[in-house]
Amino acid sequence: MPQFFTNKRLILLLVGVIVLVALIFFTLKDRENASVPEQIVKDAVGFGQSVFSKPAQYITDLIDDVDLLLNTYEENKRLKSRLAEYASVQAELSDVRLENDRLRKALGKEEDLRDYEPVQATVLARNPDQWEEKVVIDRGEVHGVKKNMAVMTAEGLIGKVILTTPFTSTVQLLATQDPTYRVSALVTGKPEAFGLIEGYDTERHELIMKRIDSTFDIKPGQKVISSGLGGIFPKGLLIGEITEVTTEDYGLTKQAYIKPAADFSMLEHVIIAKRTSMAVDGSDAGNTGEAMDEAADEAEGGSGS
Amino acid sequence: MIRLAIPLIAVVLFFLEPVFGLFSPIEIGGEYYYLVPRFLIMFLIFVGVYYSRQRAVVYGIVFGLLYDMFHIDIIGLYAFLYPVLCLLACWIVKHIHQHVAVVTVISLLLVALLETALYSFFTLIGFVSIGFDEFLKTRLLPTMIANAVFLVMFGWVFKMLIDRRSILNKEGIS
Repeated sequence: MPQFFTNKRLILLLVGVIVLVALIFFTLKDRENASVPEQIVKDAVGFGQSVFSKPAQYITDLIDDVDLLLNTYEENKRLKSRLAEYASVQAELSDVRLENDRLRKALGKEEDLRDYEPVQATVLARNPDQWEEKVVIDRGEVHGVKKNMAVMTAEGLIGKVILTTPFTSTVQLLATQDPTYRVSALVTGKPEAFGLIEGYDTERHELIMKRIDSTFDIKPGQKVISSGLGGIFPKGLLIGEITEVTTEDYGLTKQAYIKPAADFSMLEHVIIAKRTSMAVDGSDAGNTGEAMDEAADEAEGGSGS
Repeated sequence: MIRLAIPLIAVVLFFLEPVFGLFSPIEIGGEYYYLVPRFLIMFLIFVGVYYSRQRAVVYGIVFGLLYDMFHIDIIGLYAFLYPVLCLLACWIVKHIHQHVAVVTVISLLLVALLETALYSFFTLIGFVSIGFDEFLKTRLLPTMIANAVFLVMFGWVFKMLIDRRSILNKEGIS
């Protein structure tokens, strides 16, 4: 029986290991953009993946439809009771919207942090090993998707774009462990309380909102939305509901646990929010925007502590 | 046709993994259980054991690289682990036995090894902060059960296909 490790093989193996470790460290860095070969591979694999994902989604949609059909009677009863209420709210909303527009015009303030252009996308694949909470979607640079854009479902915010290629983009979900992942948020209420969504509690399956000024009075049950101060996210995307308020480690600021409004487990159709009002529209390829983003984050963090 | 069967199955399994990944995590009684599909590596282990070690390693590197680029964005992780697992499987089988049942058990053990290696790696770089008990309970065990079901269902199909391919090869040589 030949020996498993001959000298030549051992050297080959070692060189291979060294090259791969070097590659791991090179790619582990926080990169601005995927390299060209990576982009080509991603687009090609993405195309192949869509061939498999689309039929699978069709089938799950079908099952969901049957499921919905079974609940129709109950749901219909419930919805009918809310319909009357809805009509009055709708009337009020359109009235308020009109007035808002009028006042905005009177002030000469045309742009709104809330305005965004929705881009519909389909989820191609979820990172199957599930160590990092990432999904790949079928819209990319050619559809106007850029890094850091907000991604949501009909229920609420789910994450942001972290990497784009011409025809796909990678979305990192809010339920990530990545310590550098932050979303500027606010608690709706009479005085709005600002904070940052930082981290995810894997046991409670809830988001953690930190750096809330301790003078603000926040209670469980209040809704949390994106603040739009990060520079790229539009304002007013629903993130979730507060379930518990505690004091942060040093006792200077508050932190809150937030039950996310969107369900991260079965994602199929998502919406990318392309904000129409840009804070800074420079010619430096968005660097100013990012600097503003960081500055805003820091300012908020500073005001809290 | 049979000549293309092995790469074709590998490609199909590669694309099927994320589709099955969409169903996970599943919630049972308030606890989330993560099922990680590892169809491709189990197939590659079968290829390595019953057909050709060299082929298995080459496929391992190629699909590992694709996996890294498309899903993980850390190049070199799977590209390293896949071929190493194939080599390990061949080495173990050489010393034990080639029966399907034995190879099935070895494949499952190697999948467990792969999961544990990935858990250690992601803990090391700080992406994951769950304890080992929780990893065992919510990830490793469900993953092993799901993959065992898959392998019991399709292991013999793999073996049959690979055998036919190797017979074709031998006829070609003689």
